[in-house]
Amino acid sequence: MKNLSSSLLFFVAMLFSVCSHADIETKEFRIILAPAVAKSTAGYGVIKNVGAEADTLIDISSDAAMVMLHKTEINLGMAQMIHMPNIVIEAGSELVLEPMSFHLMLSGLSAEQFKQGETITLLLEFEKAGMIEIEVPIVPAWE
Amino acid sequence: MLNKILTILLITLLSNVNIAKSKVVNLPILSGVGGEFTAVDSNGNTIEFNSYAGNVVVLAFGYTSCADICPFTLGYLKQLYNKLSSEEQQKVRMLFVTVDPEYDTPEHLKAFLGHFNEDFIGISGSKEQTDYIVSLYQAEYNQLSALGIPTENIRRVQPKLFEDESEAEEDTATLFSHSVSIYLVDKDGFTRSVEYTGTPKDEFSAKIKQLINE
Repeated sequence: MKNLSSSLLFFVAMLFSVCSHADIETKEFRIILAPAVAKSTAGYGVIKNVGAEADTLIDISSDAAMVMLHKTEINLGMAQMIHMPNIVIEAGSELVLEPMSFHLMLSGLSAEQFKQGETITLLLEFEKAGMIEIEVPIVPAWE
Repeated sequence: MLNKILTILLITLLSNVNIAKSKVVNLPILSGVGGEFTAVDSNGNTIEFNSYAGNVVVLAFGYTSCADICPFTLGYLKQLYNKLSSEEQQKVRMLFVTVDPEYDTPEHLKAFLGHFNEDFIGISGSKEQTDYIVSLYQAEYNQLSALGIPTENIRRVQPKLFEDESEAEEDTATLFSHSVSIYLVDKDGFTRSVEYTGTPKDEFSAKIKQLINE
């Protein structure tokens, strides 16, 4: 029953995180509930360019934390975090943010704001589509 | 007729041998990977690695300021640990060795790991101790940068205001690259397998159970 409730909550949260803005759509955005003592956590989701032209994600920000787009790259068994500014999303393609790949790194967390069930406002700025605001739920990812 | 019956019996026997064999995985000792070390556990106690002798050890490297791969790995280890019965869990020690012992104090590690499972053990200590453990497991780590507004690419639409300098100081984080391998060590302290988060958890837990029952 607890699992069912959690699944339902997660599903509702995912629906909540769907956003469409002209040629850019976002879906399944979520921020991982970090340990209370953590000063950083990750955010995942999908950004889709449904337009006819490529667009560039030039900035991600929030008033709740410092946000950067990173990519985890694994070479010869070593994981490395690479900052990915100004990433181009081609027409008709999507940028998938997922564990051990592209992800948002949120640092400088406020324990009061980063609680399960809360949402964080993210601002995604695109070169052509402009500023897109999305509400992103905080979810326990590893249950 | 007799020949036919004998053939069927032989085939049946060989099939059963193959089935029995497929349940046991070959886990040779990986020479030169792992060994004895001294460090500090997340209860603040100085430990020798051989103090875990008699238990199967699962060991991974990481650090708590890591946003993506380390929490993901710990989440994987949590799910892996949950695949074991409580009796099996008592015979397993899950070790998370920090590559950032300066920030990841034993107390901090304990609080961080407790989010995943209270049984998980953080391993910290001096930088020299960390470097030695890393070298024992033929692992690697490198400090990448201090994340204290390191780049002009960070722009806030609504800047977060720091009340004082000490809060700003706390907002910084040091990033590391590090090995992502997960080491499976037997009850005698020998490394028997090197896995990663891509290993199916059923497969990994079967190896743990096999070493418990050796």
